[in-house]
Amino acid sequence: MRISPPRKPLLLSLQPYLLIAPTLLLVLMFNVLPAIRTVNDSLYKPARGLNAAGKPPEFVGFDNFRDIFDPAHYMGARFTRSFRNTIVFALATVGIGVPLGLMLALMLQHPQPLLGLWRFAVFYPALLPLIGAASIWSFIYSDSIGLANAVLKSFGHPGVNWLGDRNLVLMSVIIINIWKQAGYFMIFFLAGLQNIPRDIYEAAALDGAGARQQLTLLTLPLLRRTLLFVIVVAFTFAFQTVEQLQALGEGGPADSANLLLYLIFENISERRNWGYVNAMTLVLIGVVLTFTLSNFLLFEREESDR
Amino acid sequence: MNPENRRINALVNSVKIAIAVAFLIPLVFTLLVSLRPEVEPVTKGNIFFGSEITLDNFERAIAIAPWGLHYLNSIAFVGGTLAVQLITVTGAAYAFARMRFAGRSLLLLILMLQLMIPSGVLLVPNFRMIHTLGLFDTRVALMMPYWGSAFGVLLLRATFREVPIELEEAARIDGANLFQVLRNVYVPNAIPAYLAFSLVSVSAHWNEFLWPFIITRSEEIRPLTVGLNKLIKTTDQGAFYGQLMAGTLIVISPLVLLFLLFQRQFVESFARSGIR
Repeated sequence: MRISPPRKPLLLSLQPYLLIAPTLLLVLMFNVLPAIRTVNDSLYKPARGLNAAGKPPEFVGFDNFRDIFDPAHYMGARFTRSFRNTIVFALATVGIGVPLGLMLALMLQHPQPLLGLWRFAVFYPALLPLIGAASIWSFIYSDSIGLANAVLKSFGHPGVNWLGDRNLVLMSVIIINIWKQAGYFMIFFLAGLQNIPRDIYEAAALDGAGARQQLTLLTLPLLRRTLLFVIVVAFTFAFQTVEQLQALGEGGPADSANLLLYLIFENISERRNWGYVNAMTLVLIGVVLTFTLSNFLLFEREESDR
Repeated sequence: MNPENRRINALVNSVKIAIAVAFLIPLVFTLLVSLRPEVEPVTKGNIFFGSEITLDNFERAIAIAPWGLHYLNSIAFVGGTLAVQLITVTGAAYAFARMRFAGRSLLLLILMLQLMIPSGVLLVPNFRMIHTLGLFDTRVALMMPYWGSAFGVLLLRATFREVPIELEEAARIDGANLFQVLRNVYVPNAIPAYLAFSLVSVSAHWNEFLWPFIITRSEEIRPLTVGLNKLIKTTDQGAFYGQLMAGTLIVISPLVLLFLLFQRQFVESFARSGIR
């Protein structure tokens, strides 16, 4: 507050802290401390078959990490595969979903007939629960009666096993994610496009710039910040969107489409694997932190204390 | 319009229609399949014409899970989360927007750690935290990790800063205390931001599945998404897609309808959710 009397009563000087306290406490309880605790817990391992009343976890140093990065280990095989899938999943979602979102924004930025319909068509998937979206797609991908194979068959193709073929199932999951998120990415680009002053285009048009030149020479360069931002957000998202697997064969045959967070979820009640679960969680935190931190460094810092 | 622009326009329009159709197909087929009898829906070709319209699938889907209960649970989860969020967020946003105090930047930075380590990836440690607190399988456990929202604080802080300080000073001179200043000056001037935050919060938690699934066990408090999971698991083997699509529609329709009604607000709110 700008008006500050020379000597405040104690309660008044405590006021800002009291206002912040609830949020701060919750963030400490459910974000900061859990993350720190994961660092610690990843160095311990509950013995096999340990029950709740059994002996305490044993300190094993970096053994959990050695095991999960060892493809010959039973958990390492699952982790390395799921981790690789997660990277492919993230790259594909960002690599296809973000340009698609940009394209949609460019097409739907101006007033036009049926604008509401177009925007609904591409944005409604973003509002569906992931598990509901996956439920819809489980029908589309269904082997004998699904829509995807019906389309293939109409072109004379025998059809494929979208969720059963281990070479295809990750792609099937990626398609859903792109369908679900392109509209969401579009929204950010629409907001970014709105910030570009109209008169720049009028000036360019007067100078004889065609639509294509306006796009490549004006719009895209001016949208660079938004683009960078959406890419970072999209990556951060990609590591957290796993609920669809619950409706799509739970990671596919032999983990061929499993994703890291879902593997963690699958092992949450397997007490003997908790050392690994903590180590995997830490890897996931590390990856997500890389992206969110770069987001912060690129965009938030200038905002943080104006 | 010069010929180049006209050609581009025609191309844009066809691409637009193609994408819109492709994106709508899953929704249209969900509707169709849910309303048709349970027989080889697509391949027989009579999904569009010929076969009858029936609500059998909905009746069967409704029999599998207590949807009414799940609806109430989802509303309680979403509403209880938002109600507490609005209070915590308002206080913190005001403090960070308009008050000077030692450690302000540091505390704001700690708050922002939530944006850097989202609760979503902390499934296991938060599961343990809830156990430690003795809250497993309670409604509070569902909501508690979301009660503090760094996104909400940042959004409202930015909005509060745009409120002219003179309005607050005038209210203070009239003897208003902090609560009155917030209620009469800041909140009324930040309604669009509150609306944006509410839409983002409600749609995020309405759709949440993993956290409610691991942190609750009793059917009595589990939300819609967990009910849908049960339907998916019972449908798995038999491939009763009509029934599954009917159940899916039961779960997804509220937000889709809400979006149809408030399309512009949704689009604006989600745009703000990224621009922190």
